[in-house]
Amino acid sequence: MLDSTTSASHTRSIWRGLTALLMLVCVGCANQVVVEGNFPAPVLDKIPLAVGVYYDPEFRNHEFFDEAKSRAETDWIVRTGQAQVEMYNTLLPGMFDKVVLLNDIPEKTRVQQALEQGIDAVLVPHVAELQYSIPTQTKVNVFEIWMRYRYELYSKEGELVAEWTMTSYGKTPTAFLQTAEAAVNLAAVVALRDAGANFAMNFAQVPDVRTWMEGLAETDMPPAMTTQETEETL
Amino acid sequence: MQMRILLAASLSALLAGCVTSTVDEVLYKGPEADLSDGDALVVIMGRRHASDYETEPDFINCVGKHIQKRDESINVMSELEFMNQLYPWFEPRTAPLRPNDIERLMAVAPVREKLEQMNTEYMVWIDGETIRTGGAGSMTCGIGPGGAGCFGFGTWGNDSNYEATIWDFSDREEVGRMSMSATGQSYMPAVVVPIPIIAPVQGTACDGLGDQLLEFFSAEY
Repeated sequence: MLDSTTSASHTRSIWRGLTALLMLVCVGCANQVVVEGNFPAPVLDKIPLAVGVYYDPEFRNHEFFDEAKSRAETDWIVRTGQAQVEMYNTLLPGMFDKVVLLNDIPEKTRVQQALEQGIDAVLVPHVAELQYSIPTQTKVNVFEIWMRYRYELYSKEGELVAEWTMTSYGKTPTAFLQTAEAAVNLAAVVALRDAGANFAMNFAQVPDVRTWMEGLAETDMPPAMTTQETEETL
Repeated sequence: MQMRILLAASLSALLAGCVTSTVDEVLYKGPEADLSDGDALVVIMGRRHASDYETEPDFINCVGKHIQKRDESINVMSELEFMNQLYPWFEPRTAPLRPNDIERLMAVAPVREKLEQMNTEYMVWIDGETIRTGGAGSMTCGIGPGGAGCFGFGTWGNDSNYEATIWDFSDREEVGRMSMSATGQSYMPAVVVPIPIIAPVQGTACDGLGDQLLEFFSAEY
């Protein structure tokens, strides 16, 4: 009985090992891109707001997987999570007077707790969609990445005051001795820069955000910079 | 030593395909700013608004380097550095399309301060691409215990078309346009070893456009 259990356990271990090996081999077959790039700080007139920002785990670890549809194609895994967090962490402090990173979900109570310490609003970005195209699919000599972000903005009272989407687009031409992975990375970096540009230019123009900001101005909001920080200030 | 240089030059001339190029230029106004002291800045940027092609960043770098190599007194800033310094105002989504749009940028205090600090005098927008126009021929390669080799012949063409628009940043006006087109045919005969005879089409376009811009910007040309 003991032998049979040991043997079963041994067999399970072998199967697990084989499965892991197979997964490794499959991942090895796919084109993998962990997006890396440098994102500059914006040159903007700052909006007088103290904003908390929360990146949920899905956003932080966002990746896009596209399975090959034929034998001529290969799988693609594009990991944008880390790069997009870096981009927003550079962009937002250049846009707002104060930015605080929140490590927890923006539930009403938690938001209020954070707001008590001086945050005017909490921004929660999400990746709603990502699409890519490569020259083998389109027969055009450019690599393209298209993304759609969904943003949620919670008020001081923890109410959702605005929810909107913005798109971003990046493309890069094929180049001699450039790998497809490097080209997709470059296209993704251009798309992330574009996402930042679109957000920076249009944040205050989103109708619900504009209405909310006008309301804040009317109630003569208190200065945000003199308060203590809740978690980590950028 | 001279013999070797001559041999290398002859070999590279033999291995380079032929390129035909044409340059057109329209200038509305001559250069006003003195760029020779290196204080005033020239920025060379790529236009990236077309949906089906992308002006190659390498080409933009090539033109900038060509100008600076020939006349070191001209201060040329790289495209990426300029875009980073003024993010997000010169991204494809936000870049000014007309000289009048510069006013919109100057209305933003931090942008105005940055541009004045950089002393941006001229901005050159380059739009275009290099494409492969077609190919013919076939080549077979094989490998065996005795060695490897190829046999056959291949040929293809390249076509470069670029247009440069020069803006005077101080006067907020377009001062000139230059266009450059170059075509060339490359060959690859193979008898055991393939010998590529590449036509440097994009390089010729870069040199041609760079020389033309030098004539505008440089006092030495």
